Amino acid sequence: MGDSEVRALDGIDLDIGPGEYVGVVGPSGSGKTTLMDIIGCLSRPTTGSYEFESRPVHQIDDVDLAVLRGEQIGFVFQTFNLLPRLKAVENVELPMLYRRVSRRERRERAMELLRRVGLANRADHRPAELSGGERQRVAIARALVNRPSVILADEPTGALDTNTGDAIMDLIEQLNGEGQTVVVVTHDPRIAGRVRRLLRLRDGVVESDVKREAP
Amino acid sequence: MIRETIAQALATMTTHRRWAALTMFGIVWGTASVILLVGWGVGSQRMTDDGMQKVGKNLVFVWAGRIGEDLSPADERRLVTFDFDDLEAVRKSARRIEHISGENFTFAHVRYGSTGRIVDVRGIEPVMKQLRGVTLAAGRFISPEDVKFRRRVAVIGQTARERLLGPRPAVGKRLTINGQRFEIIGLLDRVGAQLSRNRTLLDEQVWVPITSLMTLLGNEKVDNMVMRPYRREQNNALKSEVRAILARRVHVSPTDEEAVFVISLIDFLSGFDAVFRFMNTFLLLLAVGTLSIGGIGVMNMMLVSVNERRQEIGLRLAVGAQRRHVVGQFLVETLVITLVGGVVGVLFGLGSCKALAAIPGELVARPVILPEIVVLAIVSTTLVGIISGIGPAWRAARVDPADSLRAD
Repeated sequence: MGDSEVRALDGIDLDIGPGEYVGVVGPSGSGKTTLMDIIGCLSRPTTGSYEFESRPVHQIDDVDLAVLRGEQIGFVFQTFNLLPRLKAVENVELPMLYRRVSRRERRERAMELLRRVGLANRADHRPAELSGGERQRVAIARALVNRPSVILADEPTGALDTNTGDAIMDLIEQLNGEGQTVVVVTHDPRIAGRVRRLLRLRDGVVESDVKREAP
Repeated sequence: MIRETIAQALATMTTHRRWAALTMFGIVWGTASVILLVGWGVGSQRMTDDGMQKVGKNLVFVWAGRIGEDLSPADERRLVTFDFDDLEAVRKSARRIEHISGENFTFAHVRYGSTGRIVDVRGIEPVMKQLRGVTLAAGRFISPEDVKFRRRVAVIGQTARERLLGPRPAVGKRLTINGQRFEIIGLLDRVGAQLSRNRTLLDEQVWVPITSLMTLLGNEKVDNMVMRPYRREQNNALKSEVRAILARRVHVSPTDEEAVFVISLIDFLSGFDAVFRFMNTFLLLLAVGTLSIGGIGVMNMMLVSVNERRQEIGLRLAVGAQRRHVVGQFLVETLVITLVGGVVGVLFGLGSCKALAAIPGELVARPVILPEIVVLAIVSTTLVGIISGIGPAWRAARVDPADSLRAD
């Protein structure tokens, strides 16, 4: 009788520790996106529980969830999602706008991160004036600006050519090498070959979960 | 953050240029109509008020009448009369009177040389100059000494002068009033059309000292008293105060409105006030209606803008913005767009008021510019802006970050 319930994820039991470098792969419709939304606190699981640093996310209200996202999670998207009217440095400042950070501190911190990703000289450019790789670097700087616990990257190289994509992954791995937890959702087998823990999803369940040592 | 919001509002306008122009026209026109229509309404009210008050500002008239509430036929009832003592009693005891003058009147045969006319002749006291608000074109006004010594001197209105003397200078000329010789000592400035009653045409009158007219008529009666309260709100208090004083003196009931007959210009104007309050409210609603149409345009533009910027909203939510931040952003953006139109509208409205006020012609009401009206226009525009922003802001706040971030 109309039992049309679709379970995007079903029976997932997963624990990601600090400093891990995790790749999530799987065909379309396997539940990658839903998993990422839950890890990123963009949505809550319908049933079941998700704890972020021992806090039960499924019990946190909208306001606190927004704060948690702002402070603990750095998003990197396939299409960069920079605001076109803002300069690179202003895009990097954006997450700090919703926290009580002074204008001066915002600018200093944003510049520091642009230096970190090698774009200090492009701070005053708008996204349209930057190359794809540069845009993704700005997005990474933005993801890092509130010193998040985890960087969550959704197809970070999907819109980039191979060389540029590799350079972006080098940057992400460099961050991981410094202790930053990273979760990458991807179709790209090249990325899948680089991560240190690979989750394969199929039809909403974990098909395999393989850890390996750094090369 | 505010600078960014304003910049974003302007960017929304430039990305929808034609739409924004149309919408702006609605807001500009709406705000301008508030200033123009309300200004014009208040202008009409003032014009009527001034016209009514040409007979003298906020005057209250008290006549001696005939006893009412009695079983005898009307023409057998006792006639009430006032004399100087009654006038003095009111002058001394009524606390709300700024000025009071006794007045006598007669239609007398007035002659200058071979020209004779029946003229409305009034016996007055010097303070009548303040009460009626008249000014002198030449000569002097009637003085306390003229009253005290019952001098046969006269001050005449412009129309009376034209009828009796033609274009000749009036001051120093001699008239006869009912055969007695009077010297013209003053000529009044033209008062002009009065909207109150066509009987009281000051320009047609000849004024003499009240005592001189008593001598001429052979009695010591005061036909009526003309007075003014300090403030318009004292109208009713003054009326009952004067009625009480006079009723006791002439032995009639204080409630007998026929014996002591009181007419107040203020009552008359209050009737008009109600009409104008209604008209002004109607004009304001009309203007706000126009403004609201502009508001609907702004709302639609912002709704489209929200749809176009779903990704931006999603991103802001992802990087830590709360719903209230998003709501605030879109409310302020809508308000900025509305107020840009509002400021232009205020300027346009003020300009139109000035232009209309400059058109010559006697009976066209001139729009007045009052700070209150400008404030009213700005407040109305702001309200329309806020109301127009609610829908778009609500829609923006309902954007699901997970969906919107993968719109492409």
